[in-house]
Order: sequence, then C-alpha cells, then structure tokens
Amino acid sequence: MKALRKYAALYLMMIPVAIYFLIYGYYPLVKGLQVSFQDYRLMGNGPYAGLANYSQVWHDPFFWKSLTNTLVIGGGILALGFVAPLVLALSLNEVLHTRFKKTAQMVLYIPHLLSWVIVGGIWIFLLSPDTGLVNLLLQRWTGTPPIHFLAESFWARLVMILVATWKDMGYNCILFMAGIVTINPSLYEAARMDGATRWQQVRYVTLPQLLGTMKVVLLLNTMGVLRIFDQVFVLRNPSTAPDVDVLMVYTFEKGIMNMQVGVAAAASFMVLLFTLALTLVVRKITRFDEVG
Amino acid sequence: MKRKATHLMALLAIGSMLLSACGGNTPNNGTSANGGTQNGASTGAPSETPAGDMKLRILSANVGGKTPEENAKFEQEIKRLTGIDVTIERPASDYDQKVLTALGSGEKYDLIEGSDLGKLNSFVDQGALTSLTDFVQGSSQLSDPSVVPSAEWDQLKGQDGNIYAVFSKFQGGTMPIVRKDWLDKLNLQEPKTLDDYYNVLKAFKEQDPDGNGKADTYGLSTSGLYDIQGFMSAAGLKYRYVLKDGKRTIPYASEAAIPMYEWFAKLTREGIMDPNFVTNDTGKMRNLFLTDRVGMVTYWDAWVGMFNSTRQEADPNTTFEAKALASATGPDGNLLMRRGDPDYWMMPVNAEHPDAAKKFLEFWHTEAGITLGSLGIEGDDYTKDGDQYTLTATGKEHNMDHGVPFWYNETVKPPFGKLPGVQEAQDLVKQYATLELSLPEWADAEKIVQNYALKAMSGEMPAGDAVKQMQKELKAANLIDE
Repeated sequence: MKALRKYAALYLMMIPVAIYFLIYGYYPLVKGLQVSFQDYRLMGNGPYAGLANYSQVWHDPFFWKSLTNTLVIGGGILALGFVAPLVLALSLNEVLHTRFKKTAQMVLYIPHLLSWVIVGGIWIFLLSPDTGLVNLLLQRWTGTPPIHFLAESFWARLVMILVATWKDMGYNCILFMAGIVTINPSLYEAARMDGATRWQQVRYVTLPQLLGTMKVVLLLNTMGVLRIFDQVFVLRNPSTAPDVDVLMVYTFEKGIMNMQVGVAAAASFMVLLFTLALTLVVRKITRFDEVG
Repeated sequence: MKRKATHLMALLAIGSMLLSACGGNTPNNGTSANGGTQNGASTGAPSETPAGDMKLRILSANVGGKTPEENAKFEQEIKRLTGIDVTIERPASDYDQKVLTALGSGEKYDLIEGSDLGKLNSFVDQGALTSLTDFVQGSSQLSDPSVVPSAEWDQLKGQDGNIYAVFSKFQGGTMPIVRKDWLDKLNLQEPKTLDDYYNVLKAFKEQDPDGNGKADTYGLSTSGLYDIQGFMSAAGLKYRYVLKDGKRTIPYASEAAIPMYEWFAKLTREGIMDPNFVTNDTGKMRNLFLTDRVGMVTYWDAWVGMFNSTRQEADPNTTFEAKALASATGPDGNLLMRRGDPDYWMMPVNAEHPDAAKKFLEFWHTEAGITLGSLGIEGDDYTKDGDQYTLTATGKEHNMDHGVPFWYNETVKPPFGKLPGVQEAQDLVKQYATLELSLPEWADAEKIVQNYALKAMSGEMPAGDAVKQMQKELKAANLIDE
C-alpha cells in the first residue's frame, strides 16, 4: 500500500495504457471466445452452440490440411529465417569497410519496410514464366524450360519460405548485429592470445555470447509461425491454394468469405492454443530463462 | 509541491486522452432514431415524412464520387435532387470485410450496396436484412415492368419468397472478347465452334497479328478460371452447381469436362495460352489485351466498350477493335453464357431511416437518379442545355459511370448512346446468358474445382486424373450428390 502511494503518479500514467489494452486487446479476446461457442448471427444474439464450432473445425479436413501447410511453410520460414540472418550478421561483422557495411545493412533492411502487397507484386513479376527475370536467367544459364514457380505446389511452398526469409532477413540481421556489438572485446583479445583462428573466435566466442539474442529471436519468430497470413494471401492462387493455405487463411475464409464467424472464432482459438503450446515447447527446449 | 505538480500533470494527461477518445466515438448520435424495423419484418411504402428532415447513411462499393471531394459533391447533388441529407461511405479497399464488420458490430447503415447473391442469401439467413416485398410491390416506380422487368425480381428473393434488395444497376455477363481488327487482318471468320476458336487463337499466336515482326503475342488470356464459360459451353457445361432431380452436381467436375481441360492444356503446351493465366488478376489480363499482347480475353460486356474507348482516347486513328463473341456452340447446338450476379441495395434491419432509404431507392430508378449514377453531377461531369447533354473533361474521365453504367429503366435513354461494341455484347447476354446457381457450400467446392481444373489446364496434371480427384474430394466433403 505504501509503495502504491509512493508511485501513485506512475500508476496513474499506466491507466490509459491499461484501458487501451482492455479495449483493444482483452475485450476482443473475451468476445471472440464467447463467439466461438455461439451460432453467431450478424444481427441480434446468436444462440449458444456448445462445442459445435470447435467440433466442426476439428472434423474439417481443410483445417488439418491448413495446419500441415502452416507447419511446413512456417517451419521453413522459422528455420531459414533464423539461420540466414545469423550467417549474414556474422559475415557483415567481418567486414571492415564501414560504408560498405552500412550500405549493405540498409539495402538488406529495405524489404522489411515494404508491405506484402508490394513485395508480392514484385515477386509475382520476377517469377513470371515468360517475362520474369528469374526464368530469363535460368533459361540463359541452364537452358531449362520456364518454371511456373507460383502455379506448381512444390515451388509455391518454397517461394513462400524464401520470399518471407528474404523480406525479414535485414530486420533479424540487425537484431543479431546489435547482440554482436555488445560482446566484450577482451574475450576476442584473450582468444587471439590463445592462438584462436578467425573461425574459432566465431565458434567459441561470438556464437556462445550471442545465445541470449538467438533465443529471443527464435522465440519471437516461433510465436508468429502459426499466424502467417499476408504473404500467403498475396502470393497464393487457386492452383496452389490447397498446398499453401495456412491456418489464418482458413480462418479468414471461414469468417469473412463464408460468414461462419463462430467457426472462424473457434479456429482462431485453436491457433492460439497451438501457438501457446509451441511457444512453451520452444522455451523449454532452448532453456529460455537460463542465463547464457 | 513537486509531487502535487506531477499528480496534476498525470491527471491532465489522462483526462485529455480519455476526453479525446470519447470525442471520437460520437459522430452519429445526433441523428434521429425513429426505430429500425424488426428482424425480417416487411416494410411498406415510404411515409410522408418531409424530405427536408430525412437523413440517410449509405455504405457503397461503386456508387458515388470517384474521389472524396467528388463524393461530397455527389452527396450534395442527391440532397438537391431529393432533399435527403445523405452520407455515402466508400471504403477504399476490403469492401466485403467492411460490410461484414459493420453489420456484425451493429453499425447503423440505411442502405448497403452488394453484388453477390451468395452473400445476400447469407445475410437473409442471419436475419440481417429487411424484407422489401411490400415496398417494391406498393411502389408505382419499382413495380412498373418498364422500370424493372417483373421476372428480374426473382433474383433478389430469399428462400421465403420475399424480396430483400433492390437493383442498383443492370448487370451484364461475361464472354470471349476478340480483337476484331486482328481477325480481319488475318482474314479469319468469327469463331463459332471450339475448333474455330482453336484455329483463331493459334493464328493469333503464330501469324504476327500486331505486325511487329516478333513472336510476342498470345492467342488467349484469362484470369484463372474466370471466365472460361464461353469455351466450356462447347461441352454443354455450366459453372457452379446444377441441380439434377434435386441432386447437386458440378458440371465442371464431371467426365464431360475432361476433353475441355485437355483442350486448354493443348493451348498451354503450344504456347497459345498466356502462361501467366493462373496468376493473372483481371487487371493484368486487361492490360495484355490493351497492349496488343493477346488477341482474346474473357470479360464483361461493358468492357468491350471500355477497351475500344480507352484505345480511341489514346489514339483516335487506332485500328483497335474489340468485339464480343458468342460462346462456342454446344453438342446440342445451344450456347451457354454467364450472367453476373446483380448489383443491389439492401436495407439492414437496424436501419435508422428506412423511409429515406425507400425514397432514395425509388429516386435511383428515375431519370434523375439514373443520370446521376451514370453521367454524374450536373455542372461537374456534364452540362445540359435544353435536351442537349455535353460531357466535361471530368465527365469523360469518369466514363459515364458513377455506379450505374447500365440500367433497367427502358424509359430512360442514354444521352450519348453506348460505347462502341457494348450493345452487341449486351444483346448476346440478353439472348443467351443465365445466372449461375450458388449454393452456400459453393465456396468450399470452388476451391477444389479451381485447384484441379487449373492443374489440368496448365498441364501439371492429366485432365482425367484431375477430374477423378475433384470428384473424390467433392464427394468426401459432401459437396456434391453425384
């Protein structure tokens, strides 16, 4: 009570933030949970339907297909989106030419600033089978016939992973570089005095010291894995939809396109539960709370 | 003292934030609330409320000004013509989402524009719309068959037989649209059978119809499966559902569709088909047609005129000529063409100003309403001297379309006639086109049909396997009966 009185001003200042989260965070969450148990109607109160919506989602093959797609595409993005920026950050850390280093960082960061609509449009154009740069180069270098990357299921999944990794590589790279610059230089000095090579310094100093940052990046990316939507929505087409449609696309289609709002709410709560489970597993595996 | 000052500042900050938040939530509280009609309740003719007191809030996809500034003028023009104080909201994007969230959150609109019969039926099922049967039947304007042909109202009826919407314009259909000037240049006849179509498309690919000396043209482009009805007609196949003895069938997923998918696969294999047809949106497809890259596309009747007008605007001496074609003749000599779902106005059950909404709906089908919806705002889009209309530069830019490019009312003649090629296209629609049957489960079925149809058409999968797989999945998901 004494502490409450002592910091009363600070607590008062927190009230608007708390109200903001109550209105825009928790109220929709609770309302969504309520809707997931209702036979939702646009007007008036929908009757409660028990677990019918959850049962419908559970027995819907499209939902499980979407979950599989999410795990394949999201898993790919998680793995590649973790390793690629790490390698890039380590490589850029070796660059001594400051201007080149900063320019490279800036160029790599730009795609992160673009919306998925823009990025999707660019890649649809680049991957076009007749006038796309990628196919033109492939034909010139290897003589292979044009590949319709976005119309064939195998390639479409791969494109989803690669483009998402490309887009956010600069952002994650900056997180890793921020971690690298905080490493105590005396550790490198000690390693050099012990005769460590450049690779050994990376292997035995940089990577272990970067473990905390890596855990945070991995956990943040894991939390977003089941919620990927934008890139799939922009890059999908009816030919590849069954192989690339992810859980959030399923939810969107049920709620907005088919107007089965109760079913969509149930599906999103299942996604929420899966995300929670996945996050807890990753926390456990990475021993997130342990220092170092 | 210092602590007190801190407390005071914190309170001021919180107070101002809360006040500004509250202020943002009260835009419509001043409007009259004369009570919306009850769920599904039928409403009769408009009341005798003086127009000067009427307010109206509209959520619109197409009707209104092209820019926020023009939209404000559009609202003023309605006020001038009807006395109704109207607010038209036109979301820049994601219109369907906006409609759904508006209805779901209890936001009060008096009229909402729609263009999807499947969604209209869903809204009716969910009790979101007011029945307009008594109003339409009691309105001397709307019940006049020369204003809206009586049979047309069947499109807007719910399963209970009530009318739940009023047309906002005349909706046409889709069809193959060909470069007539290329046909003439290559001495080709207009195709009638599927073989004729193949020969024409092949010639467009191989005989350099644009005369630039490069093999850079395609015969045909589509936007996915949208809309190959003109060719599927050759096998007598109608898109979406067809009920046979009460059983749900999807002709595009039947054995009869196999040769048709093989025909498309042949076009793809021979480079006649635009290879991007799977990923094209309609905008890309149109651009290919307008830039001499492709000789045939499948699109709306109105666009025949838009294509011609756009090229003529850019170059008055152009030889470009787009022309609508009838579908390929079917095995029984019949043609199948697609008529689009109608565009309509619906009135939510929580509409606050139903009388104003009804007054507006009647106005929308009068000469003044049609002129506003087509030509636009007098003095801004056009000027009138006696019976003589003249389009301004803005009016030309707006292509005589402010939500109503075409209309039902036969007593209102278009002052400038129709754009070149449109009348012939509409004649084909009137003669052959029929609506598609969209059952509630179509959204799920469509995903399966489109997926395998496109795989077969692009040659990624043999057509026979694609159809077999289509049928298997449709049956497994209980989306067809046979």
